Amino acid sequence: MSNSTNDMSQKLLRYLDDELAGTERAELEKQLLADKALQEELEGLKLAREAVHSYGLQQEVAAVHQEMMKEFRTPVIKISSSRRIIRFTMSVAAGLLIIFVGITVYNYYSLTPEKLFRNNYQSYELSTVRDGSAKDMSPVEKAYREKNYADVVAISFDRPFTIKEDLLRAMSYTELADNEKAITSYKEVIAKNEATGTNVLKEEAEYYLALTYIRHKEYNQALDLLTKIHNNSAHLYHGKVTNKLIRKVKKLR
Amino acid sequence: MKAVKSLSDEELVASLRSGKQVNDAIKSIYRTYFESLSWHVINNSGSSQDAEDVFQEVVVNFIDLVQKDKFRGESTIKTFLFSLNRHIWLNELKRRGRALAREERYEKEHEKAGMDVSQLIADRETKEQLVNLVTQLGETCRKILLLFYYNNLSIKEILESLDYENEQVVRNKKYKCLKQLEQMISENPLLKQTLKNLLHE
Repeated sequence: MSNSTNDMSQKLLRYLDDELAGTERAELEKQLLADKALQEELEGLKLAREAVHSYGLQQEVAAVHQEMMKEFRTPVIKISSSRRIIRFTMSVAAGLLIIFVGITVYNYYSLTPEKLFRNNYQSYELSTVRDGSAKDMSPVEKAYREKNYADVVAISFDRPFTIKEDLLRAMSYTELADNEKAITSYKEVIAKNEATGTNVLKEEAEYYLALTYIRHKEYNQALDLLTKIHNNSAHLYHGKVTNKLIRKVKKLR
Repeated sequence: MKAVKSLSDEELVASLRSGKQVNDAIKSIYRTYFESLSWHVINNSGSSQDAEDVFQEVVVNFIDLVQKDKFRGESTIKTFLFSLNRHIWLNELKRRGRALAREERYEKEHEKAGMDVSQLIADRETKEQLVNLVTQLGETCRKILLLFYYNNLSIKEILESLDYENEQVVRNKKYKCLKQLEQMISENPLLKQTLKNLLHE
């Protein structure tokens, strides 16, 4: 049992807690020097205080420890370099796809019969004539060569037009954007060939008739002709009638 | 997502000494050193649970030493934590009777090189005994003592957070609780001596 009284113990505790000052503190320190039991009691209180501090610290670290272990155990999805490359490639592909879809959508909504006609139409060119044969040239052909399309369709004879003249008239109507008359003239070229079993300028007439049908919004007739040309590899205009052209006409339909 | 800032050695020590933002300092230690220190334990016959327990002990001891001004920056925090980690794990292996001669020799060589932390820290049993004693005090005593001696709250602040009539009642209660703990420690001479040694080291 300690020699110190309860009051002395309280005073020791105040000393430990740094609450004693002045003479009170000086007196206690003097007593401590002389009283071994008092020293022992103070030492015991210091150890108890140390134990509390140690306990508190362990509790605090334990709480943070739990929190940190939870954080460390939360899976972090690491992307490997190969997956990164795949992801990058996919992003690029997605970007290109978006651009492609955008262009397709734009083309789809901006597609008009006139535009499709213009993208595929090329003025029919007659072959160069030798000097000697120019004087025998039909006035229709002469006017066509001079690109006087209005003159071409105004010329009339007291004889039927030749197949060549029919085609040039048809082409001139096309140049003049008179679709109905152009269609009639192209049909004339085809009919005459079928009647005589020939193939004079028939394939030219079929191709330009198909284009004129497109411009005139007669898509089914255009498709019949285009499919026929597309399926015939020997046709003069087979290379010009692509699947893409047929798809576009179908879209317009 | 909150950005995680890694503290420098100086910032860590300053934070632990002042007791301000201690939680952030502890988190910074975990984020910076847990993985590498755990590696040592796991690669020396330990499980991942051993690595966690040892690291927790390392952190407690490190903070304690910093707060008692026993870490004065003669080495980097990294070197110091590695020494603590190695020492604590070797002690645990010895306790389990599994320490290899090679590991013990390494530890002795390390001590000769001037990085002996064995005298600075209490062993696991001592700490466990301390925790048991404080736990035995009961909740009220534990709370008052922790608020005063660990959280550094004044008697007035404790009165505001606990249901007591006045400051004197709180003081009396605190005195009784600490006295009770002191007696419990005195009843265990070995523990008392270990604590004394550590306190006066």
